[in-house]
Amino acid sequence: MLTDIGQRRERLAIPGEAYAAFAILALLIAVPLFAGNAAVDKLTTLFVYLLLAVMWNLLAGYAGIVSVGQQAFFGLGGYFAVRLVEAGLPPYWAFFVGALGVAIVAIPISAAILRLKGGELAIALWVLAEVLRLAVMFDPLVQGETGISLLAMNSFDPTFRRNLNYWLGLAAVSGMLVAAYFLLRSKIGLSAKAIRDDEEAAKSIGIDAMRVKQVFFVIAAFGCAIAGMIWLANTITYQPRTNFGIQWTVFMLFMVLVGGLGTFAGPIVGAVVFFLLQEIFGNYGAWYLAGLGLIAILFASMLPGGIMGYVQSKTGFVPFSDGMTQNNRKRP
Amino acid sequence: MSKLVRNAGNGLTRRNLLKGAALGAAALSVPATVRSAFAQGDGTVRVGFIGPRSGPLGIFGEGDSFLVEQVGRHLADGIQSGDRRYGLQLVLGDTQSDPVRAAQVARDMINSENLDLVITSSTPETVNPVADACEAAGMPCLSTTAPWESFYFGRGARPGEPSPFRWTYHFCFGVGNFTRLYADQWSQVETNRRVGILAPNDADGNAIRMMLLPELEAAGFTIIDAGPYENGTTDFTQQINLFRSENCEIFNCFPFPPDFPVFWRQAAQRGYAQQVKVCQMAKAGLFAAELEALGPLGYGLHAGAYWHPLFPFTSSSTGLTCEMLAAAHEGVVGKQWNQQLGANASLLDATVAAIASASDPKDKTAMASALSMLKCDTAVGEIDFTSGPVANCATTGLVGVQWVKAESGPYEFDLNIVSNADHPFVPVTGQMTSYTVQG
Repeated sequence: MLTDIGQRRERLAIPGEAYAAFAILALLIAVPLFAGNAAVDKLTTLFVYLLLAVMWNLLAGYAGIVSVGQQAFFGLGGYFAVRLVEAGLPPYWAFFVGALGVAIVAIPISAAILRLKGGELAIALWVLAEVLRLAVMFDPLVQGETGISLLAMNSFDPTFRRNLNYWLGLAAVSGMLVAAYFLLRSKIGLSAKAIRDDEEAAKSIGIDAMRVKQVFFVIAAFGCAIAGMIWLANTITYQPRTNFGIQWTVFMLFMVLVGGLGTFAGPIVGAVVFFLLQEIFGNYGAWYLAGLGLIAILFASMLPGGIMGYVQSKTGFVPFSDGMTQNNRKRP
Repeated sequence: MSKLVRNAGNGLTRRNLLKGAALGAAALSVPATVRSAFAQGDGTVRVGFIGPRSGPLGIFGEGDSFLVEQVGRHLADGIQSGDRRYGLQLVLGDTQSDPVRAAQVARDMINSENLDLVITSSTPETVNPVADACEAAGMPCLSTTAPWESFYFGRGARPGEPSPFRWTYHFCFGVGNFTRLYADQWSQVETNRRVGILAPNDADGNAIRMMLLPELEAAGFTIIDAGPYENGTTDFTQQINLFRSENCEIFNCFPFPPDFPVFWRQAAQRGYAQQVKVCQMAKAGLFAAELEALGPLGYGLHAGAYWHPLFPFTSSSTGLTCEMLAAAHEGVVGKQWNQQLGANASLLDATVAAIASASDPKDKTAMASALSMLKCDTAVGEIDFTSGPVANCATTGLVGVQWVKAESGPYEFDLNIVSNADHPFVPVTGQMTSYTVQG
């Protein structure tokens, strides 16, 4: 165990992937300077997907929390933003404060809901999302089904707003990726993986399973809330049935399943694949959705490790290794 | 020769290629391509036409490809605006009946299609996200077929305050039209004037509660409101029992359309439908297809209509009278006319009028300014943005109608105009009768 940790610390010093990541980040930061509106807009959507995928992977891939109710925090994030702007906060401040608010709300929720496990937990989270949606719909500001628009966003110049949303999305994605990277290498990250593999055994060696899962849950709630805010900043329209829609969780599930559950790079690959599929085939409506379902089934049955799982087992290359998978693999 | 219509989105060729290859995709794809003999260079006004053309709201866009063909034929020589002639190119976008998709399609088209104007119609779920995208991007937008209150207040405007919208304009009926219409229509048959109200928890439902119900009470009706409920409810026992015990001979509802057949079947099973003399649908009952799904339970149901082939108006963009429009649609598309055909024709009429009146149709500020002062004749009657209820909105009229079993012809249902109190230019075509189960 101790030597394992020693090896992990050593790997942290190897900067190859980090340099590549910085190069990509620098390139992405500069995109609005040379790319057109359409590209900036589409990449912002990709960032929302990336955030969602990374958050769902943290939950399901590392902490063993299979959630079908993450849209609760996506929708709640948007709602808090709408409410805070109504209270007079400038929009971009409202996003930040609102996301923190969602994280705070997620703490008592996690304490109650993480007592459940497996299917019960999944269903409870879905119910939670529906209950939150219904509660939000009772707010007269939201006007039931109809929703409201974040008109404050119209005070910004369109190009400036588009670029600001883009950089906000990029900052959120890179920030959450860095946070996830260090979280997974921390003691809590190791404990989470132990819990995911066998919760009883983890408890028996003194891991506080509840506390560890809570940390992951609250971080994922925060990330999904940020994603919900960026999406709202881009679309402006807030409609409870859309923002609390189950489709957001279905997207997350698809991206993580296709990319590779429990791998660091998996959700990134999955989000890019999903984004491209949507760009190319999205116009087919129902057929496109059926196709997505088929792909998910094929991956689940034939390539359960997803794209990154397959790549890692074939090549042994584990980008941004969390120190566990690769070490295990290298041992005969 | 350039295309008048093409589907929105980049990678057009690739996508069309895939479209041809994908089995069954034809059924879902957006309308056919139409050619026009004009449109050159800067002289072409590009208009994005976004609406639901597939999915649950797909019926709203059923006549769109037909309409666009007619416009292309009628305006083959372009539109005169000032001392110049402009070609018109319509770029179609399909929301797939999904508000998320609607917002995305609108943004994509604004970003990559070099549009001068966006037009959209059919339900707040379509109109609001598209209008928001346009408002945020500084793109002029004209829309119809969503009660104007949903468009205006549903997007965050406040009563009594100046309009927060600079780029988006909307024409449609609103709650005020219902008051005039219902007071007249419900007086045409003998009832106890007790009205059961079924309105969900959404902007329409809340607007009805706040504005319509007090006025109906003032007009001498007794209102029994079953209270807000959730769209998609499958059990209406509580509401039906309330209306039965209160002996509501008039029933008035504003449901999410698929909820109405569920309610009405249960009402018939529980004996409430047998008590009802006037069953007034709003939002539901717009399309014959909905009535056909109800079968004989649908004979004699009452509704309001925003268009009918017997409207005495001409659609300026297609050059057809309302009657010709319906007949041509039935001939070309092979399906019975529907109200949205006329409404979307009026949207195109208003678009052409706005282009004609703009000082420079290629300039967005000039186009928005033309929309704000637009006054023109359309397939649904005159619209006048200078005398709207609020800035950015103009109202249109409603007629009272009754669905009856067709006496002849290929279609099961006919729609009689029984009240014109809200739209006096339209002639009444039949005497309203009480609802009786099974007609």
